[in-house]
Amino acid sequence: MNIKKMTFVMLALLLFIMPVLLLLLQSVSSPWRFQSGESFHFQIESFQVLWSAANLLEATLWSIVVGAGVLILNMAVGIAAGKALSTLSFKGKPLLEALFLSPVLIPVLAVAMGLHLFMIQAGLADTALGVILIHLVPTIPYSIRIFHNSYAQLGKHMLEQPVVLGAGPLQQLFTVELPLMKPAIRSVTFLTIVISLSQYAITSIIGGGRIVTLPMIFFPFLDTANTSVMAAFAVWFAMIPLAMYIIVEAFILLLPYSRMPWRNTR
Amino acid sequence: MKLFNNKSVYLLIPALLFLTLPLYGFFSAIFQSLSGGDRWTFEYYLDLLESTRFLSSIWFSIRTTLIATIVSLIIGVLITRSFYPYLEHHVPRLLVWLPMLFPHFVWGYMIILLLSETGLAAQLLVEAGVLQNSSAFPIWTRDPQGIGIIVTYVWKEVPFVILMLLPVYGSIKPGYYDLVKTLGGSKFRQFTAIEWPAIFPVLIETALIVFSFTISAYEVPALMGTTFPEMISVLSYEWFYGSGWEDRPMSFAAMVSLSLLILAFSAAGFSILQKKRWRAMRGRSI
Repeated sequence: MNIKKMTFVMLALLLFIMPVLLLLLQSVSSPWRFQSGESFHFQIESFQVLWSAANLLEATLWSIVVGAGVLILNMAVGIAAGKALSTLSFKGKPLLEALFLSPVLIPVLAVAMGLHLFMIQAGLADTALGVILIHLVPTIPYSIRIFHNSYAQLGKHMLEQPVVLGAGPLQQLFTVELPLMKPAIRSVTFLTIVISLSQYAITSIIGGGRIVTLPMIFFPFLDTANTSVMAAFAVWFAMIPLAMYIIVEAFILLLPYSRMPWRNTR
Repeated sequence: MKLFNNKSVYLLIPALLFLTLPLYGFFSAIFQSLSGGDRWTFEYYLDLLESTRFLSSIWFSIRTTLIATIVSLIIGVLITRSFYPYLEHHVPRLLVWLPMLFPHFVWGYMIILLLSETGLAAQLLVEAGVLQNSSAFPIWTRDPQGIGIIVTYVWKEVPFVILMLLPVYGSIKPGYYDLVKTLGGSKFRQFTAIEWPAIFPVLIETALIVFSFTISAYEVPALMGTTFPEMISVLSYEWFYGSGWEDRPMSFAAMVSLSLLILAFSAAGFSILQKKRWRAMRGRSI
């Protein structure tokens, strides 16, 4: 191992691994008070305290329902728009691409406040569907972009092949495009779920306190729970994208040419 | 033969339908910030300009966000350009992206755990004898300078910057480095002549995404900030849900002003890119 690689490993450990390890350690030990001479004390009560909180499981469930809805819609819209953008060529395409990316630049809080009245009139306020819709705003621009890039990387020839062989649009999608776009599917899964899990303000505006997702109970928890329980909560947050990732990975295995994972090298 | 007929146009429909959401929300926010019952009015914007709370908040937001954006870009570029051969591998890349698994405010809590006055860093420094007691540790979280907010965002955005830059560095041909070396160029010239033109457009784009996200996000400043000065999103959220309905138009006006600010920054960014591209093309034709 040369010096440069050592530096990289040290830096990665310090900047990216250590914080996560700290959270894990703190979640399974009593709050640290080293200056008063207390030593490291192992415990798992913090997870029990966390799970016994009345609304934790409910909030976890809501987060999963909302996250799954957001993910499915992201996949559908992203794949469709990605394919259209990479196969069509028309005047004003750059403008349309910029327009699709523009929601990233508008504050999502402004959008949620502006949509609030409409959501009430449409009966979508205080419903999971309303929350899913508002969570689309900060996620779909990224998904369209990722799938657009992915289709562009596949290249025209790869997309023409199934058309030449007479496959319909769905068959093209499932036998050629999706199996070749696994990395894009994984990125979109992670990004979408984590962004959806990160929304407190817009969930509270549109969900009106009825749709209680995990962030909605994380903030009140700060005032009451000790550091160990909060650390356990933080670890719990990471479990949801991981679980979603495993589920999506299982779906990916169902795609053609991936039945035997032990044969796949990627 | 034309294999892709215009039927693909229908594939754009879901995305166009989606666009109505942010556009409707944005224009409705503008509408509500301008409507004074039965007539149009600019009074909420005039009120904003007179409100010291708003002015100090928008200044604090711009300053904090600019620092966080620039610092994360610099660190991101340094890490990517120093280590991208390793980052091409699977495991190191996953390690670097580990922080992306957590929402921003959870990462913020980690910063509190680490850097607060009773946090781990303070305790370790006391143990090591550097500090007399933990109250001698500087206030870095929930501080009026926004240090906690900056640290959280920088730490969280660096992996994102690396994510955006990695494909660019992967596509730079190694031969270019040899060329600069043969011509006697220094390390610095290697960066300015080879890497900078390639990464500049991506840097501008990343900067815009990070800037607009950071300046308008509510969660981290709500966790890490103080009551004065506060980030603009926290102030708007407070006005939106405040004691009375009379503050709501103010909240819309503040959010619309923020959007205009971000749009101005974006326009500036894109015009720089346009100029740069034009110049690059001219350079090639000579």
